[in-house]
Amino acid sequence: MEQTTAPRLAPAQLDPKGRFLGSLYARNIRAVFARGLKATWGSNYAVMISGFVEPVLYLVAMGIGLGSLIGTVAGPGGEQIGYANYIAPALLAVSAMNGAVYDSTMNVFFKLNYAKLYEGMLATSLGPLDVALGEILLALLRGAMYATGFTAVMAAMGLVTSPWALLMIPAAVVVAFGFASFGMAITSYMKTFQQLEWVNFVMLPMFLFSATFYPLSVYPQGLQWVIQAMPLWHGVEMMRQLSVGMLTWATAGHLLYFVVMIGLGLVLTTGRLRSLFLK
Amino acid sequence: MTEHQLSGAPVGDAEANRHAVLGLRSPLTPEQTASRTRRFGAIYYAEHWIRRMRGYGWTVLMTAVGTPLVYLFGMGVGLASLVDTGDAAFDAGDGTTVSYLVFVAPALLATAAIMVAAEENTYMVMGGFKWHRTYYGPNASPLSSNQLVDGHLIGFSVRMLITTAPYFLFLLLFGAVEQPGTAWLMIFTAALGGVAFGMPLMAYSASLEEDKGQFAMVQRFIVMPLFLFSGTFFPLESLPGAIRWIGWISPLWHSTELGRILSYGYAEAPALTVVHVAYLLLLGFVGWVLARRNFTRRLGK
Repeated sequence: MEQTTAPRLAPAQLDPKGRFLGSLYARNIRAVFARGLKATWGSNYAVMISGFVEPVLYLVAMGIGLGSLIGTVAGPGGEQIGYANYIAPALLAVSAMNGAVYDSTMNVFFKLNYAKLYEGMLATSLGPLDVALGEILLALLRGAMYATGFTAVMAAMGLVTSPWALLMIPAAVVVAFGFASFGMAITSYMKTFQQLEWVNFVMLPMFLFSATFYPLSVYPQGLQWVIQAMPLWHGVEMMRQLSVGMLTWATAGHLLYFVVMIGLGLVLTTGRLRSLFLK
Repeated sequence: MTEHQLSGAPVGDAEANRHAVLGLRSPLTPEQTASRTRRFGAIYYAEHWIRRMRGYGWTVLMTAVGTPLVYLFGMGVGLASLVDTGDAAFDAGDGTTVSYLVFVAPALLATAAIMVAAEENTYMVMGGFKWHRTYYGPNASPLSSNQLVDGHLIGFSVRMLITTAPYFLFLLLFGAVEQPGTAWLMIFTAALGGVAFGMPLMAYSASLEEDKGQFAMVQRFIVMPLFLFSGTFFPLESLPGAIRWIGWISPLWHSTELGRILSYGYAEAPALTVVHVAYLLLLGFVGWVLARRNFTRRLGK
């Protein structure tokens, strides 16, 4: 074939022109993912693994200790279930949120401002979407690992009563995805370590109020609406329904909430990375 | 001893007169500064510590005001709605019972102090040695390593009081206190619990050369279990005997029990009360001795 244009220096597949999302996405998430895997597992795998302990401690303390005071609570569909059965799925949702938020705020903040990792990555052919998705996938892998471990502990404690409960593992990944895709975008606005405290400041009330330890009906109507607008409440409800195998249209609604959240978060994060580094 | 003898280099009479006329203080000689520092070094370092804290003043204020509101609302109002309708009863010791909110309030206050102690005695101490190297400047002056420990202790105690005092006001507002006459002393017993926890932690942090995730492990395997298993949210007796010991060795449990006595007159054997105070003092003292030793060793290298 006759050559009509000047010979290219880069291989054809690296050319962003004429490719979907060409300037943002180099189809090389795996490079970011593999680098992250190597870096985290190489340095502090003990810390990684031990993250799984936290929700288990909560489950033992609250489920057994507090459960002995409370007895049973009305679960999804109004059926009375043991207190440990009630909080276990909620704790799984919380741990998915915590892991994702920690990974996408603290860790990303460090990489963004101190290690200058993304600056280096974006100087290569990697685009902001590769970086965002690579980092998020890493957080999700960790989340899936914890969720599997936690579900196994639930089973060992006799808290799994329906085969549907296995679906809690992918559901935890979806919840984590929702939070992780937003966390990175928010972190990109932060300038000092102290500002990260605001993240905890939003998470603590969400953790305590999202029907985690007691039903939402405790609160006045106005406050209930605020809580129902928060993502964690949807995560908790979805998990709780899955744990007893009571799937309704509401379950689909909760899932949809996260799908939308993931989409918006990814758009925002990619845009932020682009405006920070590719001006 | 007069100024002349101290300084060795006499300040001329004319110079002294000039200072007197202008109403200025004569500048201190290096020897005078040194002797003051030898005497008040801990206070000087605490002053530095507290001034530095203003750099994150908003965080301090936010956690001091926001956290109690969230916990009191979540636990005392929300969870109480489940607990109080069950058949659980919290014995006040004299035959009467108290509500869940009253039961949980002293524990939340004690926890707040422990959390401050945990925060200030981990990364902050390592930062002093490694990242910011705040300890090396004062150490090159007549200020001794021991005074750094004391100054740090004063500093984080002040921050604990800044946290516990507003917390106590919120407890009053929420009606979580039955005997306000004695309950205000909780401000100090909670801080004592924080010192008992913070000093050994300070000693440990001072011994670390590098952060390889030890602090995350401390948070996960010490702070978190203490928070959950120290009779905070339910009496220690509702846990199986095999894990009840976590509460007994926990400074949080001892300071919480003291708080319960002060807040609603929780009745227990007086000997046990003595044990609570003695245990907290002992832990704090042992930690203090170890911290002084570790600081001196590390800065003497």
